[in-house]
Amino acid sequence: MIRFAARKDPDLTPPTRATARAPLAWSQLLVWLLAALALALVLAPVGVLVARGVTQADIGAALTSPFVRGAVQLSLVTSAIAVLAIVVLGTPTAYLLARRRFPGRALVDAVIDLPIVLPPVVGGLALLLLLGRQGPVGGPLAGAGIDVAFTTAAVVLAQMFVAAPFYIRAARAGFESVDQRLEAVSSTLGARPWRTFRRITVPLALPSLAGGAVMAWARALGEFGATIMFAGNVAGRTQTMPLAILEAMEADANAAIAIAVVLAAIALAILIAFRGLALAGSRAL
Amino acid sequence: MIQIDVTCTLGDFHLAPKLQVGPGITVLFGQSGAGKTLTLEAVAGLLTPDTGRIAIHDRPVFDAAAGLSVPPYDRRLGYVVQSYALFPHLTVAQNVAYGVFDLPRVEREQRVDGLLRTLGIQDLADRRPARISGGQAQRTALARALVRRPQALLLDEPFAALDEGVALTLRRELRRLVRDLDLPVLMVTHDLTEASHIGDRIAVMDAGRVLQFGDRPHVLQRPHSARVARLLGIANVLDGKVAGSESGISVRTPIGSLTTAQSGIADGPVQVAIRADQIILTRPDRPDDRPNILDIHITDEADFGHSRTLYARVANGTGPSARTLEIQIAPHPYQVMGVATRRHWRVHIPPDAVHVMKT
Repeated sequence: MIRFAARKDPDLTPPTRATARAPLAWSQLLVWLLAALALALVLAPVGVLVARGVTQADIGAALTSPFVRGAVQLSLVTSAIAVLAIVVLGTPTAYLLARRRFPGRALVDAVIDLPIVLPPVVGGLALLLLLGRQGPVGGPLAGAGIDVAFTTAAVVLAQMFVAAPFYIRAARAGFESVDQRLEAVSSTLGARPWRTFRRITVPLALPSLAGGAVMAWARALGEFGATIMFAGNVAGRTQTMPLAILEAMEADANAAIAIAVVLAAIALAILIAFRGLALAGSRAL
Repeated sequence: MIQIDVTCTLGDFHLAPKLQVGPGITVLFGQSGAGKTLTLEAVAGLLTPDTGRIAIHDRPVFDAAAGLSVPPYDRRLGYVVQSYALFPHLTVAQNVAYGVFDLPRVEREQRVDGLLRTLGIQDLADRRPARISGGQAQRTALARALVRRPQALLLDEPFAALDEGVALTLRRELRRLVRDLDLPVLMVTHDLTEASHIGDRIAVMDAGRVLQFGDRPHVLQRPHSARVARLLGIANVLDGKVAGSESGISVRTPIGSLTTAQSGIADGPVQVAIRADQIILTRPDRPDDRPNILDIHITDEADFGHSRTLYARVANGTGPSARTLEIQIAPHPYQVMGVATRRHWRVHIPPDAVHVMKT
């Protein structure tokens, strides 16, 4: 039996009502004041960071230093690999959660979300216990000459661990939004499941998939706690940008600020890209 | 030819359709919730029944006993779902071409062009579904379903989402197309007018079962049961009792004793169906020796534009009947006879319009 996805009907959205202008009561003033404080909590520190970065720290010089360049390079490479791996592993997971009913589905759903609520340091420790030299998986691997903990691979695994839920959540919602009748019609037109998935399901879920990947990338790029536990802080091998900030703070605050400004700029770009994708997704159809 | 004889239990709904779809258009008619769409899905392979068998041109595509269920992509059927489900990210031409991805490019383009032309949508080839009208979407969906040269066509309420004028044109075109292609078509509708316009055969479905299946005029004029008669919109269904007499078979009903042209009916309780459009209104002031003459009192009427329905009580020996009789009359005789000017009239029910059904 086909389940029909509810269709959005623009005619059914209620018109926005013009709110009557009443004199501003004290209670209302308080609401505005609290909202302003919340905004300031985000804007003020970021504002100071950017201001100091622009006026005092020599961002150009900092960026060309081998120390900062190494960290930026490592961060970009590891996070790109992590996102790629998350997409490869997370897409089937999200599809199964969206389309199939199987025993233990609710449990899988909860486990997927676990890294979001788990402190990253705890996740890093757990990874270390599993994949460290004494761990049940790390031990045999070490015996075969493969070290995982405190290597670049550990950085990627730590990033995957914390970032995967962001992609899987979004991808699942994207798959659920695809009208199942389209997939049914595709199958009556001679398309085997794999072709239906490639030609119908993925293209229609693409804005959600891309949005999820971007969010996962942002999370991977900022990863700190799990990385420092599981991969350590070795320049050139496991020292990503957040870890480099920690080290730089002890020696040269300006280098730390420079890296922080670069991270903030990337984050802002990601946010804009994400909003753009969401907008494109809603306009495409 | 599609042979369907399956059962399927979905929650507390029991689907058990049984019918054969030959060349021409077979209409699966019934109210919503009767199981019409589920039947189409079972044929298309989107719903797997619990028991039974489905064969297309004698090739079994589902056989519960043999553990056979051919997946939808290997059934070679054209399926147009309700409100069409065009692929929103593909153009009209890409939608139509979707089913023939495995053909060489030249042949694929020829086939798509040919179908776009046949259905008169070649100018829309590069448009997205969001930018075409309902009628154009229906043509696109039909072209998409036909592109693989299916062995049969399944249509789910293909005209329900269209304006009446567009639907009329498309119904005529569909009939022509189906005749040219010589395809068996199984079409679902809940619209009685549509069923009686387009169907070569009608299967009346109710609560998961096919109650009656046969040629259109036969089903429309000779329903098997009171339930079918009601589903087919026959306004006057009366309880009765058969008593043979010298002038033929007559049935005692709440509106009086009626003579029927039907033969071979055993005495006993029956039900009688009389179509509102087969009752003939006559002037009450002339002697009339035809059978089934009833004096009536019109209590209400409704104007449907192309026809008028009169609601009347029949005056028999003991006073006005409790049962109301519905009589359909065209606007012209209504005007000429001056029906509106008086309330007392007389009707004649031709004996072949008195359809007797076993209870």
